[in-house]
Order: sequence, then C-alpha cells, then structure tokens
Amino acid sequence: MLKHMFLGLSLCGLLAAGPCLAHAHLQSSTPADNAQLTEAPKTLSLNFSESAQLAVLKLVSDGKEIAIPLDKTAKPGKAYNLTLPALAPGSYTVQWTAVSADDGHVTKGTFKFSIAG
Amino acid sequence: MVFTGWDAAAALAKALTYAGTLGAAGAIFFLNYNERLLRAAQRRSIVRSMAMLSVLAALASAAKISLLAASMSDDLAGMFDISFAGMILRAGEGRAAAIRIVGLILCGAALLPGRGWSRLACLGALLAAASFAATGHVHALMPNILPTLIATLHLWCGAFWLGALWPLLRTARDGDHAQVAALAARFGKIAVGIVALLIAAGTLLLWLLLGSLSDLWNSDYGRMLSVKLLLVAALLSAAAVNKLRLTPRVEKGEAAAALHLRRSIKLELILGGLILLLTAAFTTLTGPSA
Repeated sequence: MLKHMFLGLSLCGLLAAGPCLAHAHLQSSTPADNAQLTEAPKTLSLNFSESAQLAVLKLVSDGKEIAIPLDKTAKPGKAYNLTLPALAPGSYTVQWTAVSADDGHVTKGTFKFSIAG
Repeated sequence: MVFTGWDAAAALAKALTYAGTLGAAGAIFFLNYNERLLRAAQRRSIVRSMAMLSVLAALASAAKISLLAASMSDDLAGMFDISFAGMILRAGEGRAAAIRIVGLILCGAALLPGRGWSRLACLGALLAAASFAATGHVHALMPNILPTLIATLHLWCGAFWLGALWPLLRTARDGDHAQVAALAARFGKIAVGIVALLIAAGTLLLWLLLGSLSDLWNSDYGRMLSVKLLLVAALLSAAAVNKLRLTPRVEKGEAAAALHLRRSIKLELILGGLILLLTAAFTTLTGPSA
C-alpha cells in the first residue's frame, strides 16, 4: 500500500514539474529594442523571463558611458524600473548582465534605441 | 550562443570541479566495496590521491565563482568584485559550494584508520557528489524536490562509475593478475545495476529539461546534449567490452588481456573527461529552451 502511494506521489511530482525556462532572458524593455523616440525617456524598464538579479547596466552613447545608479544589494526580481538622467538626442546602446535567481546562471544582452533631434 | 573567454574559463573550472569531486567520491566508494581486495600500500596511495582531488575540487569551485564574476563585468576587476561574487553565491552557487566543501572535508576521514571513519568518508562522498544538484537547471524546476532527487541519484551513480576508473587503473598497473581480475569483476558486477540507474535517472532528467525531442537538434543546449549522449554510448560500449571480454580473459591469466584492460580503462577515462567537460560547457553556456 505504502509502496503504491510512494510510486503515485513520485509520478505526480514528476508530471507536475514545470518547464525549465533556462536562464533569465530579457523578454521586453521600455524603450524597446530599436525604438525611435521623439522625446527622451525618463525611465528604463527591463522585464526578464524569470527572477534575476541585475548586476551590470551600461548606457552607452557615442562611446561614452552614462551612469545609471543600480542597487546591487536589491532582491532579485522579474521587472526593473530605473530612473534615467536627462538624455540628449542621439543613439544609445543598453548593455545588461543578470544572474538568474533560481539557477545562478549569468546572462547578458544589449539593445538599442535612438532619440530624434 | 555568444560567450566570452571568461565564460569558457568558468566552464573549464566547473569541469575540473566535476572531475575532482566525482573522482574523490568515486574513490571513497571504490575503497569501501574493495576493502578486502586492496593491499595497504594501494589503499594509502588511493587515499592520498583522493585527498589531492578533493583539494582540486575545492579550489576549482572557488575559481569558478571568481571567473563567473569576471564574466559578469567582462574584465579582470570583476573577479575581485565582492558584490558580483555575492550575487552568484546567493543564487544557489553558495549553497552548492557549501555542501560540496563539507562533503569533501568529510571525505578526508578516509585518511584515518577504522571502519567508523570510512563510513563518515562515504557520507562525505555522497554529500559532495550530490552538491551539484543543489543548483542549476534541475533545481530551477518547480516543484524541484523530485527532480533534485533524480539528479542526485544520477550524480551518485556517475561518481560510482567515473570515479572508480582511476583507482581501477592504478591497481591494474601494479596489481597481480588475480587481484586485477577480482577488482574488475567486482566493479563490473556492481556497475551493471548502477549504470542502469544512471541511465534511467538521466533519461528522466532529459524528459524534464527538454520541451520536446526535437530540442535535441534544434537548440544549442540540445545539440551539445546529443554529443554527450553519443559519448555516453561510446563509454558504455567500452565498459561492456571490459566486462564481457577483457575481464574474463584477465581472470584466465592472459597477460595481453591485462594490457588491453588498462588501455580500455584509459579510453573510458578520456571519454568520461570529455563527458564532464561537455556537461560543464552546456550547463554554463546554454540552457534548456534557451
């Protein structure tokens, strides 16, 4: 009886195991990748596929890095909203690095947006 | 799949961690089930090498964390950034490394004489090998209790098999025919059940991690996993030749068979090393459904 219960529970556990979503990937951002904006955004939003700790965030324009304050001690999350400094018209590249909270894997990515003059 | 030299170095450190940990754990198991077959000098030699493998595993674990931190910033400075290392440790790597270090320290009990110490070393070997299941893709499944248990079983069986190869080769080099035959026969007899469990657990993990069978050729993770499966098939073939053809010939006292057995174990060691390297690569650089 106990043996059958154990087997049943084991099978339920296996079938109930959800899909592994791999490492944390950037699902969407605001501004979006390749967005062409008419006015400078005040915030930068990043939405990850799973809970992650944002470790590095660089905003680069014309080879110059624009500092964005990042709290490296903050708890991991799926969504990040960061305040941007006043941005001048031009092309910008966002470089990010995150650590998946569940499996500890490091993922990186970049996306671009531009602000019309 | 885009990765830097730091990522590749972190994967290499992970492979060394696998090799050191599973090699040390497997040696502890080997010493236990061959207690009566080994001479005192052989036992001492295996225990000393096991201790060195444990140190290698601990150092490689620390190196992997530093290299992952460097990978986050893409420069050397990242290696010394405490906030990066803290993020990696909090995300599960710290838990796994702590279990591994405790397990490896307990493995050191094999250096002391007496059955009680050797039992403690066995507990350490089980902990150290299981530590890899405390983080990673399988641990990220929800709920993760049963998948983690299956991964633990897979790791224990892997440690038993791959970790026994180097002590087996060492004793095959300096042992007499009767001893080598007895050791190989005993290993082969126990390995049948262990390898069956290893394959069963591995198949279940594949089913849990892959979205569909086509992922095996449609994703980077799946393609690297497919190469691993081919290497495992080659390893199984070499093991079957050892058990079914070479061991019986060594038992009959054929000198040439002992030489072939040593070569075959070396081939198994190389294949095992490649499997660990590949596993480290695809679990570090890619992910299922990535």
